[in-house]
Amino acid sequence: MSYKLVCGIETHIELATKTKIFCSCTTQFGGEPNTHCCPVCTGQPGALPILNRRVIEYAVRAGLAVHCDINNNSHMDRKNYVYPDLPKAYQISQFDEPVCINGYVELDSGKKIRIERIHIEEDAGKLVHDGGFTYVDYNRGGVPLIEIVSMADIESPEEAREYAEKLQLIMRNVGVSDCKMQEGSMRCDVNVSLHKEGEPWGTRTEIKNINSLSNIVRAMELEMERQEDLLDSGERVIQSTMRYDANSDTVYVLRSKENADDYRYFPEPDILRFYISPESVEEIRSTLPELPDAKLKRYISMGLPENNARLIYKYRNVTRFFDEAVEKGASAGNVLNMIIGTIYATLQTEEDKENFNIKTTSSQLAELVKLIDEKKIRANKAKDVLSQMLESGNDVSEYIKAEDLQGLSDDDLRALCQGAVDANPKAVEDIKNGKDKAINVMFGFVMKNSRGKADVKKAEEIIREIIANM
Amino acid sequence: MRELISPMAQMLKSREISSVELTEKYISAIEQDNKKYNAYVSTTFEKAIENAKNADDMLSRGEGNLLTGIPMTLKDNICSDGDLTTCASKILTGFRPYYDSTVWSKLKAQGAVMLGKTNMDEFAMGSTSETSYYGAPLNPRNVEHVTGGSSGGGAAAVCANLAPYALGSDTGGSVRQPASFCGIVGLKPTYGAVSRYGLIAYGSSLDQIGVLANSVKDSAIVFDTISGVDENDQTSVDFDFGSIADSLDEMDVKGLKIGIAKEYFEGINDEMKSAILDAVKLFEDNGAEIIDISLPVLKQALPVYYIIACAEASSNLGRYDGIRYGYRPESFNDVEEMILKTRTEGFGDEVKRRIMLGTYVLSSGYYDAYYKKACLLRENLIADFDEIFNTCDVLIAPTAPNTAFPLNFSGASPVDMYLSDIATVPINITGVPAISVPVKNDSNSLPIGMQIIGKKFSEKTIMQCAYFFEKNAETDIEEFKGGVVL
Amino acid sequence: MIEKEEVLKLANLARLEFSEEELGRIMKDMDDIIAFADTINNSVEGDAEKIRNVSSSATPAEEFREDIVKESLPNEKILSNVNASKGMFCVKGGI
Ligand SMILES: [Mg+2]
Ligand SMILES: [Zn+2]
Repeated sequence: MSYKLVCGIETHIELATKTKIFCSCTTQFGGEPNTHCCPVCTGQPGALPILNRRVIEYAVRAGLAVHCDINNNSHMDRKNYVYPDLPKAYQISQFDEPVCINGYVELDSGKKIRIERIHIEEDAGKLVHDGGFTYVDYNRGGVPLIEIVSMADIESPEEAREYAEKLQLIMRNVGVSDCKMQEGSMRCDVNVSLHKEGEPWGTRTEIKNINSLSNIVRAMELEMERQEDLLDSGERVIQSTMRYDANSDTVYVLRSKENADDYRYFPEPDILRFYISPESVEEIRSTLPELPDAKLKRYISMGLPENNARLIYKYRNVTRFFDEAVEKGASAGNVLNMIIGTIYATLQTEEDKENFNIKTTSSQLAELVKLIDEKKIRANKAKDVLSQMLESGNDVSEYIKAEDLQGLSDDDLRALCQGAVDANPKAVEDIKNGKDKAINVMFGFVMKNSRGKADVKKAEEIIREIIANM
Repeated sequence: MRELISPMAQMLKSREISSVELTEKYISAIEQDNKKYNAYVSTTFEKAIENAKNADDMLSRGEGNLLTGIPMTLKDNICSDGDLTTCASKILTGFRPYYDSTVWSKLKAQGAVMLGKTNMDEFAMGSTSETSYYGAPLNPRNVEHVTGGSSGGGAAAVCANLAPYALGSDTGGSVRQPASFCGIVGLKPTYGAVSRYGLIAYGSSLDQIGVLANSVKDSAIVFDTISGVDENDQTSVDFDFGSIADSLDEMDVKGLKIGIAKEYFEGINDEMKSAILDAVKLFEDNGAEIIDISLPVLKQALPVYYIIACAEASSNLGRYDGIRYGYRPESFNDVEEMILKTRTEGFGDEVKRRIMLGTYVLSSGYYDAYYKKACLLRENLIADFDEIFNTCDVLIAPTAPNTAFPLNFSGASPVDMYLSDIATVPINITGVPAISVPVKNDSNSLPIGMQIIGKKFSEKTIMQCAYFFEKNAETDIEEFKGGVVL
Repeated sequence: MIEKEEVLKLANLARLEFSEEELGRIMKDMDDIIAFADTINNSVEGDAEKIRNVSSSATPAEEFREDIVKESLPNEKILSNVNASKGMFCVKGGI
C-alpha cells in the first residue's frame, strides 16, 4: 500500500477512587439513575467543586508508571461546551498545566510510543433516548478521569492495539483503574491520517469512544480503507469525528469539524491552584509495583518458558499469588503449571483472571507444590487434590490426612523399624546368620504399616543399626 | 446610625418581646409596604414563623447568639432549601434549591428568622436593580430614584425597616453601592472570608457575600456569624477574625495612616468630593495621618472587571438550559431547540449582553488580547494595592461617583452604566475588604456613601474605622420612619 | 466594528438567538463595550505569558478533600425542579 499511517490515541480512563472528582458521591458503577448525585455533580446553581486529592495522587501514579515528568504546579481549567450530559455546560479539565507530561509506553518491539500529557478531568453523565424522549442520568457525571494523550507515533493498527493494551495493563497494575473497556472505564479516541511517503501528513479524522482492543484494529482498518479510497479517487479527507459501529462493522461520520468547536478554556476560578511536592512524587514512585513488562522479563530470567509466563504476567492478582507461592519455597515451574493447568480451568474469562477469586491461598498451594517438589506426591495426583482444594477451600493437610500423603518423621520411622524387628525374630536370626534376603520381610512390614510412605533406604539403615546393636 | 441588632437581642433575651411577635411585626410591615418599594420578590413567612418558634425555644434555653430570633433576608441569589431562589430572572422561574447555602445554614443554626428573598438585578448584573425580572425596587429615601444594585432589594428592605439586616452579594460593588444609595451600611468582605457555597455564581473569582445593615455594629455581628472557612468552598480561607463586634471601639485613630488616591476623586462632583474629604478630616482631626497617593492602575480596573466578570459569567450561566431546573419553553422539536429557546426567552437583555461579551473575550483569537491581558492587569492591580497597604492602614474613597440615579435614567448606555462602578470594582478585582458608610445627604437629599478599604482580612480595622466615623460624625441622613420601629 | 457573522458565531456558542432587530442592537452595544474593553490594550506592561505564574501561590495537593464517600441525595430531590420520569431528567424530543 502506498500510504503511510499517522496515528495518535487519546485514552480516557476512569480512576478507581471511592468518590467523584468534585463531590463526595460514590463512583460505584450502575445504580438506579440519578441516585449517586448531589448539588455539585448535577450542576445546581450555587454549588461548588471540591477537588478530591486522591485523583491527583492517582494521576501522578499513572504518569510515573509511563515514565512521565510531573508538573509540580498545576491547576484546573474550564472547557466550555453545551451538551445535556454536561450539567454545568463546562467540563472541569486541564489545559496548559496538566499533572503529567513527556512519558512513553514501550512496545514489545522496543519502539516507544511517546505520551504528550496526562490530565485530570470529570466524566459526563449518560443520555438515554427512548420513545421520542431524551433522558439524562448523572450517576457517571463527575467520575474522575485521566486523559492520556499519545504523540502521533503509531504506525499500524496492530501498534495501536498493543499500545492500548499496554496502557490497560499498566494502569490496572498500578491500581488506578480497572480499565474495563466494555463498561467504559477505558475508552480510546483514535486519530487516523494517511499520507504518501515524503509528503506532508494528511487531514486526520478521530474515531471516538472505541470500547474494545479488537475494535481499535477493526475501526482503524475500516477508516484507513475509507481514506485510501477517497485519496485514490482524488478526493479530500474532511476533518471529522467518526464512530465505529461493531454491529454493522462500519465507521461513519458523526460530525464534520469544518467549523471547529471553540472551547474557550480559562482557569477554573472555584478550585485553587495546587502544588505536588517532589517529595510526594517520590513517595508515590516508591509505592509503584513492578510493571507487567518487568514481571515478564523476571519470569523468563527465572527459567520459566516464555509462552507460559505470558499466560500470567498480565494479571495483577495472579502474579501476586504466583510470587507469594514461590516466595514460600515452592518451585516456580510447578507453581506456574498448577496455575495454568488447574486453577485457570476455573477462571474462564479475562475478568475472572483479573479478579482471581479463588478459595485456595498462595500458602496452601505452596504446601501442595512442595510435596510435588519433594516427590512425595505425583503431579497428576496433586492436580486432583488442588481441584478439590479449589472447591472446598480446605488446607492441603485435610487431604494429606485423608490420603495419608505425609512423609514419616524420623521418630515414626524408627518406631516402625523397631516394630518390624520385634515382630520378626526369625528374620533377625536369619540376617544374623548371613541370610540377608530376610530383610525384605522387615521392609514389607514397614511399608505396609506406613502405607507405602516409608523411605526404604532409610528404613534399611535403621533396621541394620537396630540389629547390629542387639 | 442606629444599632438595631443588639437592642433587639436584649429585648428578646429579656422576653420583652418574643421572636414570633417580632417576626409578625415584620411580616405585617412587609405586607403593607412591600408594594411601595418592591424590595422582596418572594416571602417565606411560614418558614419565618417556624424559625421564630425555634428561636424562642433556643432563647428560653439560653442558647444562640445576638442574631437568635432576629428576622433577616437573603438576596434572591442565595440558596435556601425549598425556597424560591430565582436571581430575579425568568430563567429560574419556580426554582427551589434543595440545599442550604453555607451562610444560611450558619445563621439558621443560630436561630435567625428568614422573611424572604430580596430583589436584585438579574443574575446580579447591574448597578440599579432595574434589570430584575420582577421590576426595580424603589429607593425608600426617594421612590423616584433607584436603590442601586445589584443588591437593591436588600438595601431597600433594610433602609425601609422591612428587615433588620440583609445578606447581599458583591461582585463589583453590589452591596456597597446600594448601601450608599439608600443611606445604610454595606460590607464587602475579603474574597474567601465568607463561603460562597449556595451563592448562585456570576463572576466566581469576584463574587463575595456581604452584609447590608443599619449600623457598623450590626454588620460586624452578622459578619462574625457568617465568616469562616467552609469545606464546601475551596476558595474560603481559614482566618481567625476574633469577635469584631466586641472590638469595634478598640482602635486608636491617632497615628492611623489613611491613604487618599487622587484618581478616586477624579470625575466626581464637588459636592460628593467635599463630603468625603470632610469625613476624612474628622479622622485627621483625631490624629490620623493622611497620605496622598496615586493609583494610576485604577483607570484600568473597570475594563479589567468587565472582561473578567463577563468571561466567568458566560461560563457560569451556560448551565441554564432548561433540563434540570427553571424555565422551559412551551414548544420545541428537540433538545437543542429547547436549550436555545430556554436561554433566548429566559435571559434578559443585560444578561445576554454580558454572556455575549464574555464569550467574545474567551473565544479563540481574542483570548490573549482581552481575557489574558485583563488577568495580567489584575495581577498588577493586586501588586499595587499590596504596596499601598505597606504604607497605609486603610484607603478612603467615595463608594460611587454619584448618588442614586433617577429611575429609568434616560440615555444611559451600557457603558455609561458600567462607568458608575468605577469606585467599587477595584476592591473585587484585588479581593480586599471594604465597607460603605453613609456620610451625608447631597443637595437632593440623597445619601452619599464613603468606602473604607483595607488589605486582605483587615475586616476588623476597616470596621473599627467605620465605627469611629459613625460614632463621631454628624450627619443629616435621617433614620427612616416607616416599617418596624421598636 | 464587530462583524455580523462574528456575532452569530458567538450567539451560537452561547446558545442564544437574536432577531434581526436585536442583532443590530447587540452589535452596537458590543462595539461600545469592546471599545471600552480595548482601553486596556493601550496600557499593558509586562509579559502576558506570565499570568498564571504570578497568580496566587498554590495549595499543597495533600490539603484537598479526602476520598471518603458521603451519602448522595434521594432521587426525588435531585429531580425536584423539573419534569422527570423513570428517575431521570426528561425532555421531549431527540438531540
Ligand atoms: Mg477529555
Ligand atoms: Zn455528587
